[in-house]
Amino acid sequence: MDELYLDNIDEYVNDHDKIVTYKWLSLTLGVHVNTAKQMLYHYLDHKRKESSAQLHATYLVSGKFVGNGQTSHKVSVVREEQLEDFKSKMSLIVSVHVYSVQKALLKDSGPLYSVDYDAVKDNLKNCSKYSAIRCASAVPMSSVELQRVREVQQDPTPAPETRKSGMNGNFNIASKPSTKPQKGIMGMFANKAAAKNQDSSKEIKSEVEVTKSKPAVKANPMTNFFGTQATKKQDKTVKEEEAAQSSSSVEQQRAASSQPEEKPQAAAVELPKDTKKDSRSKSKRMEDSDSEEEKMEKKKRRRIKKPEPDSSDEDVIPDSPQQMETREPSPPPPKKEPEPVTHRGDSEVKTRKRRRVLKSRTFLDDEGCIVTEKGYESESYSETEDDFKPTKQAPKHPFPAKQQKSNKEDEKKSQKKASANANKGTKQASIMGFFQKK
Amino acid sequence: MFSDLSAQKDSSLLSRPAGEEQGPVFDRVSPAYSPCSERYKLGDRSFSRQYAHIYAARLMEMRPLLTERAHQKWGSEVTVRKLCDLQTGEQCCIVGTLFKRMELQPSILKEISEEHNLLPQPTRTKFISETDELILEDELQRIKLEGKIDKEKCVTGSVIAIYGAERNDGKFTVEDFCTADLPVQTTRPTLGSDKFVLLSSGLGLGSSHADSMLGLQLLVDMVTGQLGDQGEQNGAATISRVLLAGNLLSQSTLDKDASTKAKYLTKKTQAGTVDAMRLLDELLLQLVASVPVDVMPGQYDPTNFTLPQQPLHRCMFPLSSVYPTLQLASNPYQAEINGVRFLGTSGQNVCDIERYSSMSSHLEILEETLRLRHLAPTAPDTLGCYPFYQKDPFILEECPHVYFSGNAPSFESKLIKGPDGQEVLLVAVPKFSSTQTACLVNLRTLECEPVSFSAFSAEDDEESEMNISH
Repeated sequence: MDELYLDNIDEYVNDHDKIVTYKWLSLTLGVHVNTAKQMLYHYLDHKRKESSAQLHATYLVSGKFVGNGQTSHKVSVVREEQLEDFKSKMSLIVSVHVYSVQKALLKDSGPLYSVDYDAVKDNLKNCSKYSAIRCASAVPMSSVELQRVREVQQDPTPAPETRKSGMNGNFNIASKPSTKPQKGIMGMFANKAAAKNQDSSKEIKSEVEVTKSKPAVKANPMTNFFGTQATKKQDKTVKEEEAAQSSSSVEQQRAASSQPEEKPQAAAVELPKDTKKDSRSKSKRMEDSDSEEEKMEKKKRRRIKKPEPDSSDEDVIPDSPQQMETREPSPPPPKKEPEPVTHRGDSEVKTRKRRRVLKSRTFLDDEGCIVTEKGYESESYSETEDDFKPTKQAPKHPFPAKQQKSNKEDEKKSQKKASANANKGTKQASIMGFFQKK
Repeated sequence: MFSDLSAQKDSSLLSRPAGEEQGPVFDRVSPAYSPCSERYKLGDRSFSRQYAHIYAARLMEMRPLLTERAHQKWGSEVTVRKLCDLQTGEQCCIVGTLFKRMELQPSILKEISEEHNLLPQPTRTKFISETDELILEDELQRIKLEGKIDKEKCVTGSVIAIYGAERNDGKFTVEDFCTADLPVQTTRPTLGSDKFVLLSSGLGLGSSHADSMLGLQLLVDMVTGQLGDQGEQNGAATISRVLLAGNLLSQSTLDKDASTKAKYLTKKTQAGTVDAMRLLDELLLQLVASVPVDVMPGQYDPTNFTLPQQPLHRCMFPLSSVYPTLQLASNPYQAEINGVRFLGTSGQNVCDIERYSSMSSHLEILEETLRLRHLAPTAPDTLGCYPFYQKDPFILEECPHVYFSGNAPSFESKLIKGPDGQEVLLVAVPKFSSTQTACLVNLRTLECEPVSFSAFSAEDDEESEMNISH
């Protein structure tokens, strides 16, 4: 190595009158910390031989230290004149190196900190670039990942089921929402979807994953509830629906009382969630490359289910009693949080004007190939009525019967979402109004 | 010992840089990690309930455990009675929640009623006195306790089983008592190599005297592999995780006057926590870029005050929250690191018990809570706590391998054994701001050792000069 750095350090120390710490030097010259320590030592050694201007140095000493009846690992910064004294006190010396070199004699170690602080602050992004330890997992997340993490993070907080859990929930239920209710909702949708789109193999794949994950969550009252309801829904009788609800609410209570056993499973639940996330992104990718219309439709519909509350309209659907039931007990899908509030406002305004219209708009979106979920949704709001007539027709071609069913499904979903939205804002009243009509 | 592992024969740093080669780079060990703090997360927060439910839930859950222990200890023929079925003179066992009536316990009602002729009270650190009385409560009744029970040591809220007899005067004479003792423990996997978890607490950022900052920076530099020789850096790479147990910010960042001052006076002043949080974020950024970090909130940190404290919000860490290695955890904290179960708090529970009992060693209190099988018996009596009502999440259901509490005045650690062969490492994690000490737990051997940091200061000189003059 050429010894240009000696001149560099000399300039910093003597001309700029700086305190040169190894860390500062490493960040400034872009060398490994250990190299920086050696450079400082070399410089100090060099200067001492020249015996020119006086230089002061501090050393770092670390090692085993016995004192106060305790053996500890001690890391200290000491002045040069204390070095030998200090070393003799240690029972085992692990490392000694130059910590800093400066012209002035330091009274205390405060300045050392501020020098390092400034250096680190200027290099926050790669402050451990020259250190001797790499951590494979410590990679900054991209903004997409970050978004995802935030969504997951926010799930636990919304506590949207307060209304229900006020009755019996308390800590048990309250402690769960982070993972489980979401599961529950997902499970519900997944179940339905399984019944309906069995022909598309890709669907099934992800379905399987979902159902696999279900057993782990089974004990959860919420899931039970949805599970029963989802199956019942297929025969569209209102009464049965009601029965289902009452029975499931019993179940819910029972499950709530048998909470303790579930506890260990909480950890297990974490995994399925991840896998599901994967499957989602996978399907998204596939979709991009997919050219077939039908598949696209289906896939998109599935996607809508999870993350986005796009058409947030309180629709007019004939089988409304069911909706009431579904709506009431379901915690609004937690995924809703990240969605920008402004859209919500828009949609609500529009909703009131023409409900039908908005609903079918959802389908339009299915057709139009919009990839990102968020953008997707906002577009749907801004569109005008005329657009979705064609969209209504479109679904009829492939599988009429299924389409209808899934239409309903979507509608329900959107309603649920709408209700969720309503809950969020001042809209509690509107739900009540809905009930009163009945 | 960490030092022994890190020691190497020859020093490589007191020499000239050798050629163009770059320094060594070690890979951080990354053991399996799974957080198990679900039970301490609050979803719905409703504060409209009474606290009585916690005691009811606690007693209901603990009663079967204690009954079993009582049968183990005093033979299966001993009768366990409810207080309402007690017969005078009959030797039997009763199970219930302790209540300690304390003359000195601060009470807002007392303060208000005595406001007019209030004598200045000395500020106390302990609220126990000779006149304290112990009372045992079950679902229906309560009874005064006397006899062989150390009332100084007991605290309100602990559920215990007592053997003795009721006397004619209605008091219960205690002959013996037992606690629920340690819960069952899963076996710890045997590790091939030494791996460490660094515990620290009470960083106290934002305090008025910042002279401790170099110590903290040294800690960060050590963990991130900046300082020291190759051996030291190699050793530091075996620190698999850093756990910050609360009080990251200093008490002085809390501005008590802010709420009472007129708004127009405080309009332009910035909360003390803002700068401290920024500092913390920068500090954490250095850490998380190199090691996974769990951050627990403590008494003075900006989150809810009552236990369980919820994780600090991500938005307060714009720099460091970008890294997946930053885990914002709840207080109490529970996680499994490489199969070793960690459980601990930021120290509020221990400090509270210290105030209301004769015990003063944090380690002793830790052990006591473990024996009682309850993290925070004094909640909700003297320790803020969420009004749970179906379940008491502070009851220990599984025995941890490492049980710690933060913000202790000094470092202490001890390995205790349970009746069923459980092995638990108790650690009182010292306050870093005052002791400049953190501690390393070896996951392989379950040993704990302190790591201390020091820097020179002007006072050192004076001290040494004084020593010379004497």
